[in-house]
Amino acid sequence: MLINVKNLVKRYGDLIALDHFNLEVQEGEILGLLGPNGSGKTTAINCILSLLKYDKGTIELYDQPMTPDAYDIKRNIGVVMQNVAIFDELTVYENIDYFCGLYISDKHTRKKLVAEAIAFVGLGDFKKFSPKKLSGGLLRRLNIACGIAHKPKLIILDEPTVAVDPQSRNNILEGIMELNRQGATIIYTTHYMEEVEQICSRIAIMDKGKIIAMGTNEELKQMIKSGEHINLELLNPEHLELSEITALPHIISAELTDHQLVVKSGRGKNTLIAILDYLKGRNITIGKIYSEPPTLNDVFLEITGKALRD
Amino acid sequence: MQVYKAFFKIILKNRIQLMIYLVVFMVLALLLSSSYNPPQDTDFTKVKVNIAFINDDIDSPLVAGLQTYLGENANLVAIPDDTQKLQDALFFRDVEYILRVPVGFTDAMLSGSAVQLEKTTVPDSTSNIYMDLLINKYLNTANTYTTYLPGLSQTDLVAHLQEDLANATEVTMISSGTHSAYAEKSGYYFNYLSYSLFAILILGICSVMLVFNNTDLKRRNLVSPLRSANMNFQMILGNLSFAVITWLVLISASFVMYGSFMFTATGRLLLLNSFVFTLAALSISYLIGNLVKSRGAMSAVANVFALGTSFISGVFVPQALLGDNVLTIASFTPTYWYVKANNEITAAVNFNAASLTSIFTSMIVILGFAVAVLAVTLVLIKQRRLDA
Ligand SMILES: Nc1ncnc2c1ncn2[C@@H]1O[C@H](COP(=O)(O)OP(=O)(O)OP(=O)(O)O)[C@@H](O)[C@H]1O
Ligand SMILES: [Mg+2]
Repeated sequence: MLINVKNLVKRYGDLIALDHFNLEVQEGEILGLLGPNGSGKTTAINCILSLLKYDKGTIELYDQPMTPDAYDIKRNIGVVMQNVAIFDELTVYENIDYFCGLYISDKHTRKKLVAEAIAFVGLGDFKKFSPKKLSGGLLRRLNIACGIAHKPKLIILDEPTVAVDPQSRNNILEGIMELNRQGATIIYTTHYMEEVEQICSRIAIMDKGKIIAMGTNEELKQMIKSGEHINLELLNPEHLELSEITALPHIISAELTDHQLVVKSGRGKNTLIAILDYLKGRNITIGKIYSEPPTLNDVFLEITGKALRD
Repeated sequence: MQVYKAFFKIILKNRIQLMIYLVVFMVLALLLSSSYNPPQDTDFTKVKVNIAFINDDIDSPLVAGLQTYLGENANLVAIPDDTQKLQDALFFRDVEYILRVPVGFTDAMLSGSAVQLEKTTVPDSTSNIYMDLLINKYLNTANTYTTYLPGLSQTDLVAHLQEDLANATEVTMISSGTHSAYAEKSGYYFNYLSYSLFAILILGICSVMLVFNNTDLKRRNLVSPLRSANMNFQMILGNLSFAVITWLVLISASFVMYGSFMFTATGRLLLLNSFVFTLAALSISYLIGNLVKSRGAMSAVANVFALGTSFISGVFVPQALLGDNVLTIASFTPTYWYVKANNEITAAVNFNAASLTSIFTSMIVILGFAVAVLAVTLVLIKQRRLDA
């Protein structure tokens, strides 16, 4: 096992940031760590990297205890911190070269790696720029390049795409999947559920310092009761009786706003047909109709009783 | 050597600020050390006094001899023999001494009887004594000849006198030797150097440490496989190189100004002392760099610390003029010992066991500061790493 964290407890004074946190990461996967602000994602990462002392628990990387002096383990890790950590006094190129140089001493290899990293984040036009002259998104991309230039076997990214525009974000996500295909194991921390859905092979959902659910995208959605969200536009909704809809099998809830009926259904077959039959019997004419699969937000909502993002 | 390289890139980014300090300090040091004028007594030249010579006696060779002799050692000013004119000449300091040769002087001298020359002088003038000495010397020598060689002709007597009195004493200043005006001037220069050196080191090293101690960058470095010992080594090497370069730049001006003097024992001791002081200033700057949290604090500390220690340690005001309390406090800073050693080096005419012992003791104290402060800083860094 690549990472094995057991019963990690970390307190900041009275605040319990990590409450018996457990995590296992297998080689080759992309693990998404999804959780709202303040749920303890960064704290967990910092403990795993031995940047923080913790109160209880064990952390093993490559089956060895992780300590501040575990340099051989550190050699294999690439880190992209949530807070941009670069030298304002060095250029874009020099920054990437500096961090790459902490891992790779051979100059020629490094030159090649730095060039690849620059291409990876698309900073080719900004090599000689001072970081002070980069926009927020470009700075984030530099931060990523500095973390992954040395081609580490394990890459830990803590909300790397904050402030990055959608197109560059897609490029970066693509790139991360490519790094994974090349053999890197990835831990990806974010509060964007779309990102984890897009790239992660496994997702851990965090809340209040604990992992509250873990599995693949599908597994997580199977775990919860809610299935599809069925949206129907009704042209003559005055004939509708909501209680009769909720009485149908597998229906969790139904809501009517103006002409829009939203039905949350549980897992079961023929739910849509039952609804359509009912509406036909009532002589209600249907305009548009579409259905959405459940989201990770539904998963989070169902487990915690609150939305992932308010 | 990533850290070492980054160290100098950061220093270079701050070069303008450092250069400003460097230039301002250099100009200041040059002005202050050259405006200092060493006292005149380091050089000996006979000052010629203006005198008036009036002869009431016959124009004998003896009188002429006296006049010639005095003319060699003083400026003879021709003034008409008129009471009013002579008094005016004295009053306006046209002359400081009026010598009147009375009637019968030549006969009295040749017969060996006592003679009194008349003199009128400016009161409280040191040149009186000098003139008296000259005249007495002439008269006494003449007396000696007339007493022991009674048959000597007047012309022979004057010839002998001329020969004897020409043997002027070769004057050498006891305190000369290597102790030139440069000793004092370079002493001033090296004292000021402590201020500029301290300020530049604090500023330069703090700018770098502020960057490396930034929480995010520090964490980023900590997750890398760079060993802490290696990190410290590169940091200290960077600091050391920076300090040595600063020292070289600062002392280079002393070679320009004082030239070969810098290779004399005095010069070499000043250089050694300033190098030892550089190490202590470096050590203290490194500690400050690890304590300071913002650029504002950095500038404040650089100014207050460099200026403050310089002031109480006698860089700007001689130590002799500072109170005992101040000096006691100052003795807890390396600047005090540096200035003390500098003063001893420049004051010493010849280096003997006693003066060297005192000078080297000061240097060892400075070195002690360097080692002690460095030890404290390394402990602090280690502590911080564990607390991260
Ligand atoms: N240095 C600290 N001192 C005190 N409390 C802290 C400290 N760092 C984090 N916390 C608290 O610990 C909790 C977890 O913080 P953490 O940064 O791990 O959250 P996160 O999941 O990374 O959030 P975000 O999505 O905003 O980055 C928060 O309540 C936070 O306020
Ligand atoms: Mg975070």
